[in-house]
This record gives sequence, C-alpha cells and structure tokens, in this order.
Amino acid sequence: MKAITAEKISFGYTQALIFEEFFLAIESGEFLGIIGPNGSGKSTLLRLLAGVRKPQRGVVKVMEKELNQLSRREIARTIAFVPQESFFAFEWTVQEVVMMGRNPYLKLLERPGAEDLKKAAEAMRLTGVQMLAGQNINSISAGEKQRVLLARALAQEPEILLLDEATAHLDLVHQVTILQILKTLNNQGKTIVLVSHDLNEAAFCSRLLLLAKGKPVACDVPEKVLTPDLIHAAYGLEPVVTKHPFTGRPQVLLPPV
Amino acid sequence: MRSKARLNWIGIVLLLILSVVLSILTGPGGFSFRQFNQILLFRLPRVLVGIIAGGVLAVVGGAFQGLLRNPLVDPWTLGVASGAALGATFALVSGTGSSILLPIFAFSGAILAIGVVYVLSRSRGGLTVIRLVLAGVIVSFFFSSLVMLVMVIAHRSLGEAVYLMMGSLGVVFTRKSLGLFILSASFALAGCIWLVIHSRELDIISLNEETALSLGVEVQRMTKMVFLIGSVAVGLIVAWTGAISFIGLVVPHLVRMLFSPKHSQVLPGSFILGAGVLLFADVLVRVLTPAGLPLSVVTALIGVPFFVYLLRTKV
Amino acid sequence: MRQVRCEIIIVENSFRGVSLRVFFHCILLLFLLTVVSCGSRKRSLTTEKKLRCVSLVPSITEIIYAIGAEEMLSGTTNQCDFPLRAREKIKVGDFQSPDIERILALKPDIVFTTVPMHRQLIERLRELRIPVYVSHPQDIEGVFAEIESVGVILGRTEEARRLVSDLRRRLDSLPTFSDKPKVYVEISVAPLMSVGKGAFINDIIHRAGGQNVFEDFNTPYPVVDPELVAKANPDVILLLHPLVSEGEIKQRIGWSSIKAVCSGRVYSGLDEDLFFRPGPRVVDGIVLLARLLHPDKFH
Repeated sequence: MKAITAEKISFGYTQALIFEEFFLAIESGEFLGIIGPNGSGKSTLLRLLAGVRKPQRGVVKVMEKELNQLSRREIARTIAFVPQESFFAFEWTVQEVVMMGRNPYLKLLERPGAEDLKKAAEAMRLTGVQMLAGQNINSISAGEKQRVLLARALAQEPEILLLDEATAHLDLVHQVTILQILKTLNNQGKTIVLVSHDLNEAAFCSRLLLLAKGKPVACDVPEKVLTPDLIHAAYGLEPVVTKHPFTGRPQVLLPPV
Repeated sequence: MRSKARLNWIGIVLLLILSVVLSILTGPGGFSFRQFNQILLFRLPRVLVGIIAGGVLAVVGGAFQGLLRNPLVDPWTLGVASGAALGATFALVSGTGSSILLPIFAFSGAILAIGVVYVLSRSRGGLTVIRLVLAGVIVSFFFSSLVMLVMVIAHRSLGEAVYLMMGSLGVVFTRKSLGLFILSASFALAGCIWLVIHSRELDIISLNEETALSLGVEVQRMTKMVFLIGSVAVGLIVAWTGAISFIGLVVPHLVRMLFSPKHSQVLPGSFILGAGVLLFADVLVRVLTPAGLPLSVVTALIGVPFFVYLLRTKV
Repeated sequence: MRQVRCEIIIVENSFRGVSLRVFFHCILLLFLLTVVSCGSRKRSLTTEKKLRCVSLVPSITEIIYAIGAEEMLSGTTNQCDFPLRAREKIKVGDFQSPDIERILALKPDIVFTTVPMHRQLIERLRELRIPVYVSHPQDIEGVFAEIESVGVILGRTEEARRLVSDLRRRLDSLPTFSDKPKVYVEISVAPLMSVGKGAFINDIIHRAGGQNVFEDFNTPYPVVDPELVAKANPDVILLLHPLVSEGEIKQRIGWSSIKAVCSGRVYSGLDEDLFFRPGPRVVDGIVLLARLLHPDKFH
C-alpha cells in the first residue's frame, strides 16, 4: 500500500510555481529522506504532503484516499507533522502541549479521558520528556522542545510522521536521540518522511529524494543518491563522498575550502 | 498549584462581588435619597450593563489574542469597537437610536470593521499579526474620524461622539430600551459561550496556523467564526456603552498569568475579572467626578501602564 | 475705507463678573468717544460707503435684522436661518467651521464671531488686521448690551436702543412669581446632559420664574447622572433636543416617580433656538417658558 502519493501536483506561493506536475509515491513503512539545497522546495513539499498547504493543481492521496475528501480531524489521525521550530506566544506546560496531540480524537466539549492521558504519557516516555511534564514550554532547551513536539506528534497516533528539519540546531546527542526514536518507530511500521539539510543524517534513511528548484534530481537508496555527480548537480559543488566505517552508508565531507 | 488556582478564582469572584456592592452603594445621588428602592432602579441596570460589557469585551479580547497569538490585540485595537461606534452613530443620527436598529447597526459596523481589517492585513502567507494590528489601528482611526464627521454633519454635539468613542455606563433606560439591551446582551453572551465551547480549538490555534491545521483544526473556518462572533458580540455591547478601551486587552492577559493559557480558563476568568474591573472603574469615575467622565479615561489610565509593561517584556 | 477700519475698535463683549463688565463699559465708552470725536466724517462715511459685515453667529444675524441693518450684512453661515430672509444671504460655511477664504472674499469691514467656537479664526483675522467682534453674552443683560454694541458698530444706535427698550418692557410686563418651580433641562440623552451655572439658559429659567436644578454645576453643559435627576425631583422637565418625546420620559426606568413626570409637566418640541440663541428672540423664550412654568398667571 502507498502511504502518500502526490499526483501531478503544482504549487507556488505566488504566480511563480515551485512545483509543476510533480509526482511522488511513498510506500507504507518507508523511511524517506528529502534533501536538497536551500530553496529547493523540501519544506514546501512536506507541507503539501501533510495537507497544511493545498496544491493549485493535482491531488495528494493519503492511504489511497484523496486529502480533499478527508476532514482535518481524519487527516490528523493519520498524519502527524513536526515543524522545525515553534514559537509559543503563551506559557503552556509541556504536558498541555503534548495533550493537544489528542485533539483529533476529542469531540466538541469532550474532556481528555484516562485513555488520552495514557497515550500522552506513553508518547512523553518514548521521547524521554516525561520528567518535563509540568515545565513551562518556553523554559526548556531547544533539544527538549523538539522532543516535546515529537511527543505531541506521537500522541496523535499517526500512521505517517512528517518531520521538517527535526534535528536542526540540535547538538550531537539530541540529534542521535531523535534519530534513534525515529528508527524505532519505523521498525514498528510507521512511515516516516524526514526533511533534512544534513546529508549524513539523511544517509540513515531507506530512500532519499534529492530536490533542486522543485525538480527531483534523484530518488533512490542513499548509496545511489549521495554521489559526487548528483550532489554536484543539485548543489553545484563537489564534495568528498566516503563510507561510514561501521554502517557502510555514504558520508559526505565538505570539500577543502 | 491547584490550591493556588482555586485561591485565584475565589479572588476574582470576590473582586466582582466587591465591585457590584460598591457600584450599588456609590453614586452621585448618595446612599439615601428617599427610598433605596428608587436608587436601585438606577443602579441595578448600571451594574447589569457593567457586568455584561466588561465580561463580553474581556472574553472577546481573550479569544482574539489567542486566535492571533498576540497579547496586544483586542476589540479596541483591531478597530471593531470603532466600527461598532460608527454603526451606532448612524442609528443615532437617523433617529433610530431607541429601536432595535441601534444594536443591528452597531454590530454591522463591527463586522464591517473586522472585514476591512481582515482584507487589509491578508498577505500571501496568510494573516500576519503585524499587518493585522497596523490595519486595526488604521481602521480604528478612520472609523473614529467618521464618527466625528457624521456627528458634525448631522449637527449633533461632539460630546455625544466623545462618549460614544470612549464609553460610559450611564445609559438612560426606558422599559423598551432595557428590553432591547437584554436581548442584545443575550446574543452577546451566546457568542461568548460559543467561544468558550471552542476553547480547545483556540488553544491549538494559539500555537501557530500550520500546527493547528496538522492537529485537525479547521483554522480558516475557526478564524472567520471567531472574528465574526467576537465582532457581533462587541458590537452589541458598544451599541449601548460606547467603545471602552483596554478592558479586552489587559484582563485576558492578567487571567493568563493567574491561571494558565488554556482558553477554557482564560475566557470564563476574563468574563469575571473583566466585569469586576469595569464596574470598579465605573465606581472610580462616579466617585471622582460628579459631572461625568467617559469610562475609557479611567480604563486607559489603568491600562496604558500595563500595555507599556507588556510591550517591554512580552513582545 | 481705510480710515473706517482704523476707527472701529475691536469689541470683546465678554462678561466674566463685574470687573469685566466695567472693562466692557470702558471700552464702549472709548468707542463712543471715538465715534463722537470723528463726528460728521464718520457718519458720512457709513452712509455713503456702506459698511460690509459678515456674521458667523446666528444670534448676531438675528440682531442685525432686528435693527434693520441687513443691507450691510454680506455673508452669514448655514445655521443663520432666522429670519427666513437670512437664508438667502451668501453662506461662508457652517457656524462651527466657517471658511476663512470665503469670508475674505467678501472683503468685510468687520466680522462677528463668538468664542470658544471661532477662537482660531479670530486669531487669524486679527493677524490680517480685519476687525473682529467677539460675542459671548452670558445672560440677558449681556444680550441687551450686545444689541446696543452691534447698533453702534453698524450705525443703528437708535434702532438698537429702541429694540432693547421694547424687549425690556416685555420682560417687565411679566408678572412676579413668588413660587419657583424646579426645572430640569435636558439637552442630550447619550450622554445625559443638562445645563449648569455658566449656561445662558440658566438665566432664561431664572427670569421665567423657575429654578434650574443643576445651577450648582460650574460647567455650562454638565453630563449628569440620571439618578441625580431623580434625586433633584424637578417639577418641570424641558426637553431641548429632538430625540426624546414626553412619552419616552414616562417609560424611563426610575423616572416615573419624578414630580414632573407624575404631573405630566414634561415639555418637548419647543423651538430650541429661543433658548439657545442669545439674540432678540430670547425674550420670546422667556415668555414661553414663563407660561409653561406658571400657567395660572397667564390667561
């Protein structure tokens, strides 16, 4: 089964289109990485797949149903979207932020029940933020905040998890923690789509989509995408590509400056 | 934590009760002219108007702040109050000021104002708060000028315009107009209840638009509904009291500091505290000045320092 | 023409207590002396070359017509609507906001103004060395003095004097009133406004044999609390604004026990100009009000 398909979608914030007749199919249980230079449309594509933005033409299907046919609540029960960073205008506690992930399951005026509290607690345990439950969201570190947002996404019990630069600005420890969580989730059968500007991080994905100016340059296993030629085609510079000594996955080194 | 919140609730309810009692006991007529019954005929409607006006303005202010993720917006800064005042002005100068057309004109004016603000501030990437607040200020000035202009063209006193734009609880009620006020107030309260019912959606929208969409909230529909219902509620109140400033701005913020940002607490808390603060401001006005003073003079004197504090610390 | 301009002294008819009144009389005296000293030359000028004046004040316009000097009146405001013929004069804008360019276009020898409405305009006209008369009568005596001043300025001294003595005679013919009913005057409902000590109407009520319930208020037009009206319990209510009818007063919550409402002595639909305009018709207003306040003394 296909988790998400984008069929001939065209989209632009203005008259100028970023995507034209774009096609993408993501298999259920896949761990897809979307990479490309700044402004290549990675984040926009993710938003189109999440249904946060609507394409001007073409359709996006989730679990083989058109997004337009589904209500926001139905979409939110299937897809969770983790934004890059969140500004919180008000002083929410971590617990309150994670509980918002239960919104798609709550009816008007329905208060969160024991089941919802359990799901939220489970999500916080999985991401290691249960100790922060009572803390003010604006008082915790960036790495903790990112894990809280991931916990909120998990509280949605989604089939598909879309992450926009989930590890940007994070130190090595936090980056690895988050990648481990994602790996675990992927092993449990969740479909994961990760937008990243870190090519070495993207190398952990099972498949990579390399974008440049809204066009796919390549879409294949990391070994076939992270090659000097393709990276040059997308980024316009020739890096050194080597192999990870333990995993054997390609690793991209900066060219000499 | 829990017991502190309970104490705060008790505190704001006590403040409201205190304001109601003070409001009934004080007035230029003194405490004992002829029978007390007759004083009550004047002061009870005033207390009623104060509670409804303060409550509705604060609830709508709280909802707007959540919706726009900005503690500096309220019905007054978004131009809604001026729009309502303009609507009420048209009703007054066309001689329909004591009919049902008064609240209808006022809330139409409020909807017109928020509509203009909405269109002016919409950019390609959706609503941006800075544009919204700027548009609100512009529309507010424009509509206030129109109020003055219409009043002058219709050869009405500018005093009337000033009171309409700065608010007062000194409504002279006839049996008919009190009935109309109660009708307006019922609709305004129904609007507030709608907002309270949708507290959870407001909570989520207060994070940001994309997150709200991905958490299953119909953001655009909610935004329009909150603007519409909030504006109608405010319009229905401004028709009677004129535009009262700062209550809708300061009160929800205080409540958020006392309790939590959850709208299921912010909105009901704002109603109680807004009613209390407005009545208290009215008591001050009546004690300080025998010859009357627009209510916004006092609410602004209290509100502006707070606004400056917000500006320096929160934004 | 230039000489006439020099001779006309700017007369500020503003009474604020006795000292100002004395000051005014001094100025008037000075003015008369000037007129007398210039004697025949002045008179010949005013008769040969007619003075041109612009009146920005409806009450002054009424005075000008009442002393028969309308041929000197070259411009008025949109609010100068009495007598009916005054509507045909050239208009220089609204009473509140006259247009200075239109005033200048009429090349007036004097402009009649009032304060505080025309304060800025007066400054400007003075800069342009155009003589200005500032009207600000605060009671009936002030109106009489003003009629005489306008008469002197426009060379209709005799007519003005005759008009004032007529008006005085009518006032004197009013009966004396021993009881003074309490009167509440309402000039606006939102906000509720009445008249205080400084208001012209206060003197009208007084002369018509009534007592203004808010005469203790220092502001001329105070915003009042409705419960104060109930506390004052007036015998007569005078509605001087078009928005409210007698019937609506009865419907007002808490007002039904006020004496004026119980006894049906609430009056509306009167000609407001009789009370607001400090012109010759003010005596009509006093007589009208006296009849309302003391119906038993008139038959």
